Amino acid sequence: MELNWSTFVLEIFNFLVLLWILKHFLYQPLLEMIARRRAAIENQLTEAEQQHAKADALKQQYESRLADWERERQKAMDKLMREIEHHRSIQLEKLKSELAQEAEKRRVAESRQQQQTLHDIEQRALQQAAEFSSRLLAEAAGPELENRLFELLLDGLNAMPAEQISALSNEWGTAPELIRVNSAYPLADHQRQQLEATLSRVTGLSVPVHYEQDTQLLAGLNIIIGAWLLQLNVRDELQGFKEFTHVEH
Amino acid sequence: MGEDSLFILPLFNLGPVQLTSTVITTWVMMAIIGGFAWLATRRLQMKPDRLQTLLEAMVSLIEESIRGIAPQHVQQIMPFIGTLWVFIVIANLTGLIPGMHSPTRDLSTTAALACLVFLSVHWFGIRIQGLKNYLQHYLQPSPILLPFHIISEMTRTIALAVRLFGNMMSLEMVALLILLVAGFLVPVPILMLHIVEALVQAYIFGMLALIYVAGGLQSQQRRQQKQGVSDA
Repeated sequence: MELNWSTFVLEIFNFLVLLWILKHFLYQPLLEMIARRRAAIENQLTEAEQQHAKADALKQQYESRLADWERERQKAMDKLMREIEHHRSIQLEKLKSELAQEAEKRRVAESRQQQQTLHDIEQRALQQAAEFSSRLLAEAAGPELENRLFELLLDGLNAMPAEQISALSNEWGTAPELIRVNSAYPLADHQRQQLEATLSRVTGLSVPVHYEQDTQLLAGLNIIIGAWLLQLNVRDELQGFKEFTHVEH
Repeated sequence: MGEDSLFILPLFNLGPVQLTSTVITTWVMMAIIGGFAWLATRRLQMKPDRLQTLLEAMVSLIEESIRGIAPQHVQQIMPFIGTLWVFIVIANLTGLIPGMHSPTRDLSTTAALACLVFLSVHWFGIRIQGLKNYLQHYLQPSPILLPFHIISEMTRTIALAVRLFGNMMSLEMVALLILLVAGFLVPVPILMLHIVEALVQAYIFGMLALIYVAGGLQSQQRRQQKQGVSDA
């Protein structure tokens, strides 16, 4: 065990040379490669973080857009609901109006039907009354009634005002050739004379009077002077009564 | 047991320089290590193969070991400490090759390495801290301790050299003695122990060197921190 100074110095030199060799051919290339790889990994991590940040931003944007869509959808839904409600209220009002109109129509129809029914009942009652009166008057008709009607006719003619007589004269125009008198029963002579005198006085005509018997008159008589017809008999009165009821309704 | 087994005799002289087997073995080692490093790092790729992965793992391990002790000076210290580890591991394992001796079995080699460590402590300390600041740490905490600091520097350097030399020489001597006494194949377990011891001694030598260098650097850091506290 002794120290060889040549070996000592040479070993120092050898170690320094080896240090230089390893530094330049081992450590530096490997450390540079490790540094490059770390830088590449850092870049990849940075890119990944950027991608992650971008993904987060996109996610937030997407969520924001989703929220906007949700709000818009809710708004549209509210608007639609309001429109539906508005439309429903309009339709409801329209339906109510139609129902009211229908109810009014039905009420009017019912009223009309009631009126019609009432009218029919009244008509039937009047008809029955007329038939009853006709049957009663037909059974009660006789010479006495005719005489009484004759008297009424004469009273009526005598009580006729001058203006009416003048109007009647204008209506028949040219004077008729004869006056027709129809009666249910044959008139007595004195009755004929009274009648002719009254007619002559009222009409101012001096034309012959032609008498005829018409049993359908039941009782009473009618007088035809040209286009003028003077009626006072049971049949025409009943007919007039019927027509009057028709006109009334 | 021949004389060359106990002593490192000069093989030949080159003028005043004596060339021993230690130097020749070291040159062969350097050629192999340099050639291997050159070949291995010619085509480095971003996606490493097995060899590149192994080398990167080794360099990263060295770097992380230094970072754990001197994190601020990894780039400056790493080539020196790494080369120490590589050189001593390979030099220690060279003794396993039949007919060759470990260069670290030679006190001249271990003394040279210890001397390099001694010089590197001051080199890195002065280079990083400046001469005045570096020398001031010998006066800390008191100038009275200056002789002890100097004695410590000397003794730890000598201890560094003698520890490695003694361990490696004793290993080879034990294996040689067992081979002579017990015969062929019996020293094989001792050779396994040689591998472990070679790795452990390399680690111890490199780690102690790292601690010495880092100690010189961190004394300045402690002083700077103390100044920062007093200024605050």
